[in-house]
Amino acid sequence: MLNKTINTVLISLIATLLVCKTASAEIIEVNFAYVGDKEHSALLGVKQGLEEANLQGQFLNQKYNLDLFATKDALTHDFSDYIAVLTAVDIDNFQILAKSLSNTPVFNLSISDDSIRAACADNTLHIIPSNRMAEDALSQWQKKEADSNAKAQAWHADFVKFAARDLNKRFKKNHKVKMDDYSWSGWSAVKMTTDTVARTQITNPEKMLNYLKSELSFDGQKGSNMNFRETGQLRQLLLLIEDNKIVAEAPVRGIAKPPTLDSLGIINCKK
Amino acid sequence: MNTKHWALTSLLALITFSVSASPINRIFVTNEKGDSVSVINGTSLEVEATIEIGERPRGIGLSPDGSELYVAVSEENKIKVVDPSSLEILREFEAGSDPETFAVHPNGNIYISNEDDAKATVFNPKTGEQVAEIKVGLEPEGVAISPDGKRVIVTSESTNMLHVIKAPENIIENNILVGSRPRAATFTQSGDIAYATAEISGEVVKVDMVNAKILKIGNTGDSKSKPKDVLLSKDEKVVYVAGGRANKVLVMDADTLEIIKGIPVGKRVWGLAMTRDGKRVFSTDGVSSTVSVIDTDKNEVIKTIKVGKFPWGVVIND
Repeated sequence: MLNKTINTVLISLIATLLVCKTASAEIIEVNFAYVGDKEHSALLGVKQGLEEANLQGQFLNQKYNLDLFATKDALTHDFSDYIAVLTAVDIDNFQILAKSLSNTPVFNLSISDDSIRAACADNTLHIIPSNRMAEDALSQWQKKEADSNAKAQAWHADFVKFAARDLNKRFKKNHKVKMDDYSWSGWSAVKMTTDTVARTQITNPEKMLNYLKSELSFDGQKGSNMNFRETGQLRQLLLLIEDNKIVAEAPVRGIAKPPTLDSLGIINCKK
Repeated sequence: MNTKHWALTSLLALITFSVSASPINRIFVTNEKGDSVSVINGTSLEVEATIEIGERPRGIGLSPDGSELYVAVSEENKIKVVDPSSLEILREFEAGSDPETFAVHPNGNIYISNEDDAKATVFNPKTGEQVAEIKVGLEPEGVAISPDGKRVIVTSESTNMLHVIKAPENIIENNILVGSRPRAATFTQSGDIAYATAEISGEVVKVDMVNAKILKIGNTGDSKSKPKDVLLSKDEKVVYVAGGRANKVLVMDADTLEIIKGIPVGKRVWGLAMTRDGKRVFSTDGVSSTVSVIDTDKNEVIKTIKVGKFPWGVVIND
Protein backbone atom coordinates (compact mmCIF):
# COMPACT_ATOMS: atom_id res chain seq x y z
CA MET A 1 0.00 0.00 0.00
CA LEU A 2 2.73 2.41 1.03
CA ASN A 3 4.80 1.33 -1.95
CA LYS A 4 1.90 1.93 -4.23
CA THR A 5 1.41 5.43 -2.79
CA ILE A 6 5.09 6.26 -3.16
CA ASN A 7 5.01 4.98 -6.72
CA THR A 8 1.99 7.12 -7.55
CA VAL A 9 3.64 10.18 -6.02
CA LEU A 10 6.86 9.50 -7.91
CA ILE A 11 5.06 9.01 -11.19
CA SER A 12 3.10 12.21 -10.82
CA LEU A 13 6.24 14.07 -9.79
CA ILE A 14 8.11 12.84 -12.86
CA ALA A 15 5.11 13.65 -15.02
CA THR A 16 4.97 17.17 -13.57
CA LEU A 17 8.67 17.69 -14.16
CA LEU A 18 8.37 16.46 -17.73
CA VAL A 19 5.42 18.73 -18.46
CA CYS A 20 7.20 21.74 -16.93
CA LYS A 21 10.31 21.04 -18.93
CA THR A 22 8.45 20.77 -22.23
CA ALA A 23 6.39 23.85 -21.49
CA SER A 24 9.34 26.03 -20.52
CA ALA A 25 11.35 24.79 -23.49
CA GLU A 26 8.60 25.77 -25.87
CA ILE A 27 7.71 29.24 -24.60
CA ILE A 28 9.17 32.08 -26.62
CA GLU A 29 9.46 35.31 -24.66
CA VAL A 30 10.07 38.60 -26.43
CA ASN A 31 10.64 42.10 -25.01
CA PHE A 32 9.73 45.46 -26.52
CA ALA A 33 11.02 48.83 -25.35
CA TYR A 34 9.00 52.01 -25.74
CA VAL A 35 10.86 55.30 -25.52
CA GLY A 36 8.94 58.54 -25.16
CA ASP A 37 6.26 60.35 -23.29
CA LYS A 38 3.86 58.06 -21.42
CA GLU A 39 0.99 60.33 -22.40
CA HIS A 40 1.71 60.06 -26.14
CA SER A 41 -1.10 58.35 -28.05
CA ALA A 42 1.49 56.15 -29.82
CA LEU A 43 1.85 54.25 -26.53
CA LEU A 44 -1.84 53.33 -26.54
CA GLY A 45 -1.35 51.70 -29.93
CA VAL A 46 1.74 49.89 -28.67
CA LYS A 47 -0.29 48.55 -25.74
CA GLN A 48 -3.10 47.49 -28.07
CA GLY A 49 -0.59 45.62 -30.23
CA LEU A 50 0.92 43.91 -27.18
CA GLU A 51 -2.46 42.75 -25.94
CA GLU A 52 -3.36 41.30 -29.32
CA ALA A 53 0.02 39.63 -29.66
CA ASN A 54 -0.36 37.99 -26.27
CA LEU A 55 -3.80 36.74 -27.27
CA GLN A 56 -2.21 35.11 -30.32
CA GLY A 57 0.72 34.01 -28.14
CA GLN A 58 -1.58 31.94 -25.92
CA PHE A 59 -2.15 29.60 -28.84
CA LEU A 60 1.51 29.45 -29.86
CA ASN A 61 3.32 29.56 -26.50
CA GLN A 62 4.69 33.02 -27.10
CA LYS A 63 4.78 35.84 -24.57
CA TYR A 64 5.42 39.53 -25.18
CA ASN A 65 6.55 42.11 -22.63
CA LEU A 66 6.78 45.89 -22.76
CA ASP A 67 9.14 48.16 -20.82
CA LEU A 68 8.75 51.93 -20.84
CA PHE A 69 11.67 54.39 -20.85
CA ALA A 70 11.77 58.15 -20.56
CA THR A 71 13.86 59.65 -23.35
CA LYS A 72 16.70 60.83 -21.07
CA ASP A 73 17.09 57.35 -19.53
CA ALA A 74 16.97 55.60 -22.89
CA LEU A 75 19.98 57.37 -24.35
CA THR A 76 22.37 55.46 -22.09
CA HIS A 77 20.41 52.21 -21.70
CA ASP A 78 21.54 48.79 -22.93
CA PHE A 79 18.73 47.49 -25.18
CA SER A 80 20.37 44.20 -26.17
CA ASP A 81 17.54 42.17 -24.58
CA TYR A 82 14.90 43.82 -26.75
CA ILE A 83 13.54 42.71 -30.12
CA ALA A 84 12.80 46.32 -31.10
CA VAL A 85 12.78 49.86 -29.72
CA LEU A 86 9.58 51.81 -30.38
CA THR A 87 9.98 55.55 -30.23
CA ALA A 88 7.82 58.64 -29.95
CA VAL A 89 10.63 61.18 -29.41
CA ASP A 90 11.90 64.33 -31.12
CA ILE A 91 14.04 64.19 -34.22
CA ASP A 92 17.40 64.79 -32.46
CA ASN A 93 16.88 62.07 -29.88
CA PHE A 94 15.57 59.72 -32.56
CA GLN A 95 18.79 60.08 -34.50
CA ILE A 96 20.97 59.62 -31.40
CA LEU A 97 19.05 56.49 -30.39
CA ALA A 98 19.11 55.01 -33.88
CA LYS A 99 22.84 55.55 -34.15
CA SER A 100 23.59 53.89 -30.84
CA LEU A 101 21.45 50.81 -31.65
CA SER A 102 22.79 49.91 -35.06
CA ASN A 103 21.61 46.27 -35.10
CA THR A 104 18.21 46.75 -33.50
CA PRO A 105 15.03 47.84 -35.30
CA VAL A 106 14.22 51.39 -34.15
CA PHE A 107 10.64 52.30 -35.02
CA ASN A 108 9.62 55.91 -35.63
CA LEU A 109 6.01 56.32 -34.55
CA SER A 110 5.73 60.10 -34.50
CA ILE A 111 8.10 62.09 -36.75
CA SER A 112 6.94 63.03 -40.24
CA ASP A 113 10.11 64.95 -41.23
CA ASP A 114 11.48 63.73 -44.60
CA SER A 115 15.12 64.24 -43.71
CA ILE A 116 15.25 61.14 -41.51
CA ARG A 117 13.89 59.06 -44.39
CA ALA A 118 16.44 60.52 -46.78
CA ALA A 119 19.17 59.71 -44.23
CA CYS A 120 18.53 56.02 -45.00
CA ALA A 121 19.89 54.65 -41.73
CA ASP A 122 19.91 50.85 -41.87
CA ASN A 123 17.97 50.26 -38.68
CA THR A 124 15.25 52.93 -38.77
CA LEU A 125 11.70 51.93 -39.65
CA HIS A 126 9.22 54.76 -40.17
CA ILE A 127 5.62 53.71 -39.68
CA ILE A 128 4.13 57.19 -39.58
CA PRO A 129 3.82 58.65 -43.11
CA SER A 130 6.26 61.40 -44.12
CA ASN A 131 5.29 64.98 -44.93
CA ARG A 132 6.10 64.36 -48.56
CA MET A 133 3.75 61.37 -48.70
CA ALA A 134 0.95 63.50 -47.28
CA GLU A 135 1.70 66.31 -49.78
CA ASP A 136 1.71 63.90 -52.73
CA ALA A 137 -1.57 62.38 -51.57
CA LEU A 138 -3.15 65.82 -51.33
CA SER A 139 -1.90 66.99 -54.73
CA GLN A 140 -3.27 63.82 -56.35
CA TRP A 141 -6.64 64.51 -54.75
CA GLN A 142 -6.58 68.19 -55.74
CA LYS A 143 -6.16 67.21 -59.40
CA LYS A 144 -9.58 65.64 -59.07
CA GLU A 145 -11.22 68.02 -56.57
CA ALA A 146 -9.22 71.26 -57.00
CA ASP A 147 -10.93 73.25 -54.27
CA SER A 148 -10.43 70.61 -51.61
CA ASN A 149 -8.86 71.53 -48.30
CA ALA A 150 -8.33 67.93 -47.33
CA LYS A 151 -5.55 66.67 -45.12
CA ALA A 152 -3.80 63.32 -45.61
CA GLN A 153 -3.70 60.94 -42.66
CA ALA A 154 -2.51 57.41 -41.96
CA TRP A 155 -5.69 56.50 -40.11
CA HIS A 156 -9.14 57.67 -39.12
CA ALA A 157 -11.59 56.47 -36.50
CA ASP A 158 -14.36 56.29 -39.13
CA PHE A 159 -12.34 54.03 -41.45
CA VAL A 160 -14.25 50.76 -41.87
CA LYS A 161 -12.85 49.06 -44.97
CA PHE A 162 -10.38 46.19 -44.77
CA ALA A 163 -11.60 45.34 -41.27
CA ALA A 164 -10.44 48.78 -40.07
CA ARG A 165 -13.85 48.88 -38.41
CA ASP A 166 -12.83 46.00 -36.14
CA LEU A 167 -9.51 47.55 -35.13
CA ASN A 168 -11.19 50.91 -34.41
CA LYS A 169 -13.87 49.18 -32.37
CA ARG A 170 -11.56 47.16 -30.14
CA PHE A 171 -9.13 50.07 -29.68
CA LYS A 172 -11.94 52.38 -28.57
CA LYS A 173 -13.30 49.71 -26.25
CA ASN A 174 -9.92 49.24 -24.56
CA HIS A 175 -8.65 52.81 -24.40
CA LYS A 176 -11.84 54.92 -24.44
CA VAL A 177 -10.37 57.19 -27.12
CA LYS A 178 -10.36 57.05 -30.91
CA MET A 179 -7.41 55.53 -32.72
CA ASP A 180 -5.27 58.22 -34.36
CA ASP A 181 -2.23 58.13 -36.68
CA TYR A 182 0.22 57.69 -33.81
CA SER A 183 -1.68 54.90 -32.13
CA TRP A 184 -2.13 53.12 -35.47
CA SER A 185 1.65 53.43 -35.94
CA GLY A 186 2.36 51.99 -32.49
CA TRP A 187 -0.06 49.14 -33.07
CA SER A 188 1.44 48.42 -36.51
CA ALA A 189 5.03 48.32 -35.28
CA VAL A 190 4.15 45.75 -32.62
CA LYS A 191 1.85 43.75 -34.89
CA MET A 192 4.35 43.37 -37.73
CA THR A 193 7.09 42.32 -35.31
CA THR A 194 4.98 39.85 -33.35
CA ASP A 195 3.43 38.39 -36.51
CA THR A 196 7.00 37.78 -37.66
CA VAL A 197 7.92 36.09 -34.38
CA ALA A 198 4.82 33.89 -34.70
CA ARG A 199 5.68 32.86 -38.27
CA THR A 200 9.44 32.57 -38.10
CA GLN A 201 10.29 32.22 -34.38
CA ILE A 202 12.92 34.95 -34.91
CA THR A 203 13.84 36.45 -31.52
CA ASN A 204 17.15 38.07 -32.45
CA PRO A 205 16.88 41.84 -33.15
CA GLU A 206 19.32 41.83 -36.06
CA LYS A 207 17.55 38.94 -37.77
CA MET A 208 14.23 40.66 -37.10
CA LEU A 209 15.52 43.86 -38.73
CA ASN A 210 16.61 41.93 -41.82
CA TYR A 211 13.30 40.14 -42.04
CA LEU A 212 11.24 43.32 -41.64
CA LYS A 213 13.26 45.16 -44.27
CA SER A 214 13.39 42.40 -46.86
CA GLU A 215 10.59 39.88 -46.40
CA LEU A 216 7.74 41.62 -44.62
CA SER A 217 4.22 41.30 -45.95
CA PHE A 218 2.12 43.11 -43.39
CA ASP A 219 -1.63 43.28 -42.91
CA GLY A 220 -2.18 46.64 -41.22
CA GLN A 221 -5.96 46.53 -41.72
CA LYS A 222 -5.50 49.01 -44.57
CA GLY A 223 -5.97 46.52 -47.38
CA SER A 224 -2.74 45.81 -49.14
CA ASN A 225 0.23 43.82 -48.04
CA MET A 226 2.56 46.46 -46.66
CA ASN A 227 6.36 46.48 -46.68
CA PHE A 228 9.30 48.88 -46.34
CA ARG A 229 11.12 51.01 -48.86
CA GLU A 230 14.90 51.14 -48.76
CA THR A 231 14.50 54.47 -46.97
CA GLY A 232 12.89 52.56 -44.11
CA GLN A 233 9.46 54.08 -44.80
CA LEU A 234 6.41 51.80 -44.66
CA ARG A 235 4.50 51.77 -47.96
CA GLN A 236 0.88 52.48 -47.18
CA LEU A 237 -2.44 53.83 -48.30
CA LEU A 238 -3.33 57.31 -46.97
CA LEU A 239 -6.75 58.71 -46.18
CA LEU A 240 -7.86 62.18 -47.28
CA ILE A 241 -9.85 63.87 -44.59
CA GLU A 242 -12.03 66.96 -44.98
CA ASP A 243 -14.19 68.31 -42.14
CA ASN A 244 -13.20 65.24 -40.16
CA LYS A 245 -14.71 62.98 -42.83
CA ILE A 246 -12.95 60.51 -45.11
CA VAL A 247 -13.34 61.85 -48.66
CA ALA A 248 -10.85 59.68 -50.56
CA GLU A 249 -7.98 57.23 -50.41
CA ALA A 250 -4.55 57.84 -51.91
CA PRO A 251 -3.11 56.68 -54.26
CA VAL A 252 -6.07 58.40 -55.92
CA ARG A 253 -7.51 56.10 -58.56
CA GLY A 254 -7.00 57.34 -62.12
CA ILE A 255 -4.61 60.11 -61.02
CA ALA A 256 -1.69 58.50 -59.20
CA LYS A 257 1.45 57.90 -61.26
CA PRO A 258 2.56 55.18 -60.90
CA PRO A 259 -0.86 53.90 -59.76
CA THR A 260 0.79 52.28 -56.75
CA LEU A 261 1.74 53.13 -53.17
CA ASP A 262 5.04 54.41 -54.59
CA SER A 263 3.27 57.47 -55.97
CA LEU A 264 3.48 58.80 -52.41
CA GLY A 265 6.73 60.20 -51.03
CA ILE A 266 10.41 59.58 -51.75
CA ILE A 267 11.21 56.05 -52.81
CA ASN A 268 14.93 55.53 -53.06
CA CYS A 269 18.09 56.37 -51.15
CA LYS A 270 20.61 58.55 -52.96
CA LYS A 271 23.50 56.30 -53.89
CA MET B 1 -48.85 -3.84 -30.60
CA ASN B 2 -52.21 -4.23 -32.31
CA THR B 3 -52.76 -3.83 -36.00
CA LYS B 4 -54.47 -0.48 -35.71
CA HIS B 5 -51.60 0.97 -33.75
CA TRP B 6 -49.10 -0.49 -36.13
CA ALA B 7 -50.87 0.99 -39.13
CA LEU B 8 -51.09 4.40 -37.48
CA THR B 9 -47.43 4.38 -36.54
CA SER B 10 -46.44 3.40 -40.07
CA LEU B 11 -48.62 6.09 -41.49
CA LEU B 12 -47.10 8.70 -39.20
CA ALA B 13 -43.63 7.49 -40.09
CA LEU B 14 -44.49 7.74 -43.75
CA ILE B 15 -45.79 11.27 -43.36
CA THR B 16 -42.76 12.36 -41.34
CA PHE B 17 -40.48 10.76 -43.90
CA SER B 18 -42.13 12.37 -46.87
CA VAL B 19 -42.16 15.79 -45.18
CA SER B 20 -38.49 15.81 -44.27
CA ALA B 21 -37.46 14.29 -47.59
CA SER B 22 -39.47 16.53 -49.86
CA PRO B 23 -37.04 19.05 -51.27
CA ILE B 24 -38.16 22.64 -51.11
CA ASN B 25 -35.82 23.42 -53.99
CA ARG B 26 -35.13 27.01 -53.10
CA ILE B 27 -31.97 29.09 -52.87
CA PHE B 28 -31.80 31.56 -49.98
CA VAL B 29 -29.57 34.64 -50.12
CA THR B 30 -28.86 37.17 -47.35
CA ASN B 31 -28.68 40.78 -48.53
CA GLU B 32 -26.28 42.53 -46.15
CA LYS B 33 -27.37 46.08 -47.01
CA GLY B 34 -30.90 45.17 -48.12
CA ASP B 35 -31.76 43.81 -44.65
CA SER B 36 -33.54 40.96 -46.41
CA VAL B 37 -33.36 37.38 -47.64
CA SER B 38 -34.02 36.76 -51.35
CA VAL B 39 -35.75 33.47 -52.10
CA ILE B 40 -34.89 31.99 -55.50
CA ASN B 41 -36.91 29.19 -57.07
CA GLY B 42 -34.49 26.33 -57.85
CA THR B 43 -36.29 25.35 -61.07
CA SER B 44 -37.13 28.69 -62.67
CA LEU B 45 -34.08 30.45 -61.13
CA GLU B 46 -36.26 33.49 -60.52
CA VAL B 47 -36.67 35.38 -57.24
CA GLU B 48 -40.04 34.24 -55.91
CA ALA B 49 -40.08 36.10 -52.59
CA THR B 50 -38.14 38.49 -50.36
CA ILE B 51 -38.16 38.18 -46.58
CA GLU B 52 -37.65 41.34 -44.50
CA ILE B 53 -35.31 39.84 -41.92
CA GLY B 54 -33.62 42.63 -39.93
CA GLU B 55 -30.49 44.76 -39.91
CA ARG B 56 -27.38 43.45 -41.68
CA PRO B 57 -28.08 39.77 -42.32
CA ARG B 58 -24.92 37.83 -43.15
CA GLY B 59 -24.42 34.13 -42.27
CA ILE B 60 -27.12 31.73 -43.44
CA GLY B 61 -27.61 27.99 -42.96
CA LEU B 62 -30.08 25.11 -42.80
CA SER B 63 -30.90 22.57 -40.11
CA PRO B 64 -29.58 19.07 -40.96
CA ASP B 65 -33.08 17.94 -42.05
CA GLY B 66 -33.66 21.12 -44.05
CA SER B 67 -36.77 22.03 -42.08
CA GLU B 68 -35.43 25.29 -40.66
CA LEU B 69 -33.47 28.17 -42.11
CA TYR B 70 -31.14 30.15 -39.84
CA VAL B 71 -30.03 33.72 -40.53
CA ALA B 72 -27.43 35.68 -38.53
CA VAL B 73 -28.78 39.22 -38.21
CA SER B 74 -25.54 40.93 -37.23
CA GLU B 75 -26.67 44.37 -36.08
CA GLU B 76 -29.40 42.85 -33.92
CA ASN B 77 -27.05 40.24 -32.40
CA LYS B 78 -29.59 37.55 -33.25
CA ILE B 79 -30.18 34.37 -35.17
CA LYS B 80 -33.61 34.33 -36.76
CA VAL B 81 -35.27 31.01 -37.57
CA VAL B 82 -37.35 30.91 -40.76
CA ASP B 83 -39.66 28.22 -42.13
CA PRO B 84 -38.21 27.56 -45.61
CA SER B 85 -41.66 26.53 -46.94
CA SER B 86 -43.97 29.20 -45.55
CA LEU B 87 -41.12 31.78 -45.30
CA GLU B 88 -42.43 32.90 -41.92
CA ILE B 89 -40.04 33.94 -39.19
CA LEU B 90 -40.69 31.28 -36.55
CA ARG B 91 -38.56 32.58 -33.69
CA GLU B 92 -35.28 34.29 -32.85
CA PHE B 93 -32.61 34.06 -30.22
CA GLU B 94 -29.69 36.14 -28.93
CA ALA B 95 -26.46 34.90 -30.51
CA GLY B 96 -23.73 36.94 -28.83
CA SER B 97 -22.11 40.12 -30.12
CA ASP B 98 -22.11 40.69 -33.89
CA PRO B 99 -22.78 37.15 -35.17
CA GLU B 100 -21.35 36.84 -38.65
CA THR B 101 -20.66 33.41 -40.05
CA PHE B 102 -21.87 30.11 -38.68
CA ALA B 103 -22.10 26.44 -39.56
CA VAL B 104 -24.65 23.84 -38.54
CA HIS B 105 -23.32 20.67 -36.89
CA PRO B 106 -24.85 17.29 -37.89
CA ASN B 107 -26.26 17.17 -34.33
CA GLY B 108 -28.23 20.34 -35.06
CA ASN B 109 -26.18 22.80 -32.97
CA ILE B 110 -24.96 26.04 -34.51
CA TYR B 111 -21.30 27.13 -34.29
CA ILE B 112 -21.01 30.92 -34.60
CA SER B 113 -18.03 33.22 -34.86
CA ASN B 114 -18.45 36.36 -32.73
CA GLU B 115 -16.21 38.83 -34.51
CA ASP B 116 -16.08 41.44 -31.73
CA ASP B 117 -15.41 39.10 -28.85
CA ALA B 118 -12.61 36.77 -30.02
CA LYS B 119 -14.75 33.73 -29.40
CA ALA B 120 -16.92 31.11 -31.01
CA THR B 121 -20.19 30.13 -29.41
CA VAL B 122 -22.32 27.03 -29.78
CA PHE B 123 -26.10 27.34 -29.66
CA ASN B 124 -28.93 24.87 -29.65
CA PRO B 125 -31.29 26.52 -32.14
CA LYS B 126 -34.31 24.58 -30.85
CA THR B 127 -34.08 26.23 -27.44
CA GLY B 128 -31.88 29.23 -28.19
CA GLU B 129 -29.60 28.19 -25.34
CA GLN B 130 -25.85 28.67 -25.47
CA VAL B 131 -24.23 25.24 -25.20
CA ALA B 132 -20.55 26.26 -25.16
CA GLU B 133 -18.13 29.12 -25.65
CA ILE B 134 -14.65 28.67 -27.12
CA LYS B 135 -12.01 31.37 -26.89
CA VAL B 136 -10.26 31.89 -30.23
CA GLY B 137 -8.09 34.55 -31.88
CA LEU B 138 -9.05 38.08 -32.92
CA GLU B 139 -11.77 38.69 -35.47
CA PRO B 140 -13.04 35.14 -35.80
CA GLU B 141 -14.70 34.75 -39.17
CA GLY B 142 -15.17 31.49 -41.07
CA VAL B 143 -16.69 28.37 -39.53
CA ALA B 144 -16.60 24.91 -41.13
CA ILE B 145 -17.62 21.54 -39.74
CA SER B 146 -16.41 18.14 -40.96
CA PRO B 147 -19.19 15.91 -42.36
CA ASP B 148 -18.78 13.46 -39.45
CA GLY B 149 -19.06 16.36 -37.01
CA LYS B 150 -15.82 15.55 -35.20
CA ARG B 151 -13.92 18.69 -36.13
CA VAL B 152 -14.83 22.36 -36.40
CA ILE B 153 -12.60 25.00 -37.95
CA VAL B 154 -12.92 28.61 -36.83
CA THR B 155 -10.68 31.07 -38.69
CA SER B 156 -9.41 34.15 -36.87
CA GLU B 157 -8.57 36.90 -39.28
CA SER B 158 -6.34 39.14 -37.20
CA THR B 159 -4.56 36.25 -35.49
CA ASN B 160 -4.02 34.47 -38.84
CA MET B 161 -5.09 31.08 -37.60
CA LEU B 162 -7.28 28.10 -38.20
CA HIS B 163 -8.45 26.96 -34.77
CA VAL B 164 -9.29 23.28 -34.94
CA ILE B 165 -11.95 22.44 -32.38
CA LYS B 166 -12.81 18.91 -31.34
CA ALA B 167 -16.57 18.35 -31.30
CA PRO B 168 -18.80 17.76 -29.47
CA GLU B 169 -16.28 18.27 -26.63
CA ASN B 170 -15.70 21.83 -27.90
CA ILE B 171 -12.04 22.04 -26.99
CA ILE B 172 -9.30 23.42 -29.22
CA GLU B 173 -7.08 20.60 -30.44
CA ASN B 174 -4.81 22.57 -32.77
CA ASN B 175 -4.02 26.11 -33.94
CA ILE B 176 -2.62 26.32 -37.45
CA LEU B 177 -0.94 29.53 -38.56
CA VAL B 178 -1.80 30.36 -42.19
CA GLY B 179 -1.64 33.40 -44.50
CA SER B 180 -2.94 36.86 -43.59
CA ARG B 181 -6.63 37.08 -42.74
CA PRO B 182 -7.97 33.55 -43.14
CA ARG B 183 -11.64 33.77 -44.00
CA ALA B 184 -13.43 30.59 -44.91
CA ALA B 185 -12.81 26.85 -44.90
CA THR B 186 -14.30 23.59 -46.15
CA PHE B 187 -13.67 19.92 -45.41
CA THR B 188 -13.37 16.86 -47.64
CA GLN B 189 -16.01 14.16 -47.13
CA SER B 190 -13.64 12.15 -44.91
CA GLY B 191 -12.81 15.22 -42.85
CA ASP B 192 -9.06 14.53 -43.03
CA ILE B 193 -8.31 17.44 -45.35
CA ALA B 194 -9.53 21.02 -45.28
CA TYR B 195 -9.14 23.97 -47.63
CA ALA B 196 -9.07 27.55 -46.38
CA THR B 197 -8.81 30.98 -47.99
CA ALA B 198 -6.63 33.86 -46.74
CA GLU B 199 -7.77 37.32 -47.81
CA ILE B 200 -4.71 39.55 -47.70
CA SER B 201 -2.15 37.01 -48.77
CA GLY B 202 -4.57 35.97 -51.55
CA GLU B 203 -3.98 32.32 -50.83
CA VAL B 204 -5.80 29.02 -50.70
CA VAL B 205 -4.26 26.51 -48.31
CA LYS B 206 -4.74 22.78 -48.21
CA VAL B 207 -4.37 21.43 -44.69
CA ASP B 208 -3.89 17.92 -43.27
CA MET B 209 -6.36 18.01 -40.39
CA VAL B 210 -5.05 14.87 -38.69
CA ASN B 211 -1.49 16.15 -38.34
CA ALA B 212 -2.34 19.87 -38.38
CA LYS B 213 0.07 20.48 -41.25
CA ILE B 214 -0.18 22.72 -44.30
CA LEU B 215 0.14 20.50 -47.36
CA LYS B 216 0.00 23.07 -50.12
CA ILE B 217 -0.42 26.79 -50.67
CA GLY B 218 -2.00 28.05 -53.88
CA ASN B 219 -2.03 31.65 -55.00
CA THR B 220 -5.06 33.33 -56.50
CA GLY B 221 -2.66 35.27 -58.68
CA ASP B 222 -4.43 38.64 -58.72
CA SER B 223 -3.77 41.43 -56.25
CA LYS B 224 -7.47 42.34 -56.29
CA SER B 225 -8.48 38.80 -55.56
CA LYS B 226 -9.27 38.72 -51.88
CA PRO B 227 -10.65 35.19 -51.67
CA LYS B 228 -13.67 34.47 -49.49
CA ASP B 229 -15.81 31.33 -49.70
CA VAL B 230 -14.37 27.99 -50.75
CA LEU B 231 -16.15 24.81 -51.92
CA LEU B 232 -15.11 21.37 -53.12
CA SER B 233 -16.63 19.61 -56.13
CA LYS B 234 -18.43 16.34 -55.37
CA ASP B 235 -15.54 14.28 -56.78
CA GLU B 236 -13.16 16.42 -54.67
CA LYS B 237 -10.97 17.10 -57.71
CA VAL B 238 -11.74 20.78 -58.00
CA VAL B 239 -11.94 23.69 -55.54
CA TYR B 240 -14.21 26.68 -56.19
CA VAL B 241 -13.06 29.94 -54.63
CA ALA B 242 -14.97 33.23 -54.49
CA GLY B 243 -12.37 35.70 -55.75
CA GLY B 244 -13.67 38.86 -54.05
CA ARG B 245 -12.82 42.00 -56.03
CA ALA B 246 -11.24 39.97 -58.85
CA ASN B 247 -14.94 39.48 -59.78
CA LYS B 248 -14.33 35.84 -60.63
CA VAL B 249 -15.01 32.44 -59.22
CA LEU B 250 -11.70 30.63 -59.42
CA VAL B 251 -11.60 26.95 -60.29
CA MET B 252 -8.49 25.34 -58.84
CA ASP B 253 -7.05 21.85 -59.03
CA ALA B 254 -7.71 20.38 -55.57
CA ASP B 255 -4.40 18.57 -55.58
CA THR B 256 -1.94 21.13 -57.00
CA LEU B 257 -4.01 24.26 -56.22
CA GLU B 258 -3.20 25.57 -59.67
CA ILE B 259 -5.84 27.78 -61.28
CA ILE B 260 -7.73 25.91 -63.99
CA LYS B 261 -10.13 28.70 -64.84
CA GLY B 262 -11.46 32.04 -63.66
CA ILE B 263 -15.21 32.33 -64.24
CA PRO B 264 -16.25 35.99 -64.58
CA VAL B 265 -19.21 36.78 -62.30
CA GLY B 266 -20.50 40.01 -60.74
CA LYS B 267 -18.52 42.44 -58.60
CA ARG B 268 -17.08 41.50 -55.18
CA VAL B 269 -17.99 37.83 -55.25
CA TRP B 270 -18.40 36.62 -51.68
CA GLY B 271 -20.56 33.59 -50.86
CA LEU B 272 -20.75 30.22 -52.63
CA ALA B 273 -23.11 27.25 -52.42
CA MET B 274 -23.37 24.03 -54.41
CA THR B 275 -26.44 21.96 -55.25
CA ARG B 276 -26.64 18.49 -53.72
CA ASP B 277 -25.95 16.87 -57.13
CA GLY B 278 -22.90 19.11 -57.59
CA LYS B 279 -24.11 20.39 -60.97
CA ARG B 280 -24.51 24.03 -60.06
CA VAL B 281 -22.67 26.59 -57.97
CA PHE B 282 -24.36 29.82 -56.87
CA SER B 283 -22.25 32.89 -56.07
CA THR B 284 -23.29 36.13 -54.35
CA ASP B 285 -21.87 39.16 -56.15
CA GLY B 286 -22.05 41.87 -53.47
CA VAL B 287 -21.43 45.13 -55.33
CA SER B 288 -23.49 44.03 -58.38
CA SER B 289 -26.39 42.90 -56.17
CA THR B 290 -26.66 39.70 -58.20
CA VAL B 291 -26.39 35.95 -57.80
CA SER B 292 -24.55 34.07 -60.56
CA VAL B 293 -25.49 30.51 -61.43
CA ILE B 294 -22.55 28.40 -62.61
CA ASP B 295 -22.88 25.14 -64.56
CA THR B 296 -20.07 22.99 -63.13
CA ASP B 297 -19.76 20.78 -66.25
CA LYS B 298 -18.74 23.73 -68.40
CA ASN B 299 -17.70 26.02 -65.55
CA GLU B 300 -19.68 28.84 -67.10
CA VAL B 301 -22.32 31.24 -65.82
CA ILE B 302 -25.71 30.18 -67.16
CA LYS B 303 -27.78 32.84 -65.44
CA THR B 304 -27.42 36.06 -63.45
CA ILE B 305 -30.21 36.85 -60.99
CA LYS B 306 -30.87 40.30 -59.55
CA VAL B 307 -31.34 40.10 -55.77
CA GLY B 308 -31.31 42.58 -52.85
CA LYS B 309 -28.57 45.05 -51.96
CA PHE B 310 -25.14 43.55 -51.21
CA PRO B 311 -25.87 39.81 -51.27
CA TRP B 312 -23.59 38.05 -48.77
CA GLY B 313 -24.37 34.43 -47.93
CA VAL B 314 -26.17 31.73 -49.89
CA VAL B 315 -27.62 28.35 -48.99
CA ILE B 316 -29.56 25.81 -51.03
CA ASN B 317 -32.47 23.72 -49.79
CA ASP B 318 -32.64 20.90 -52.36
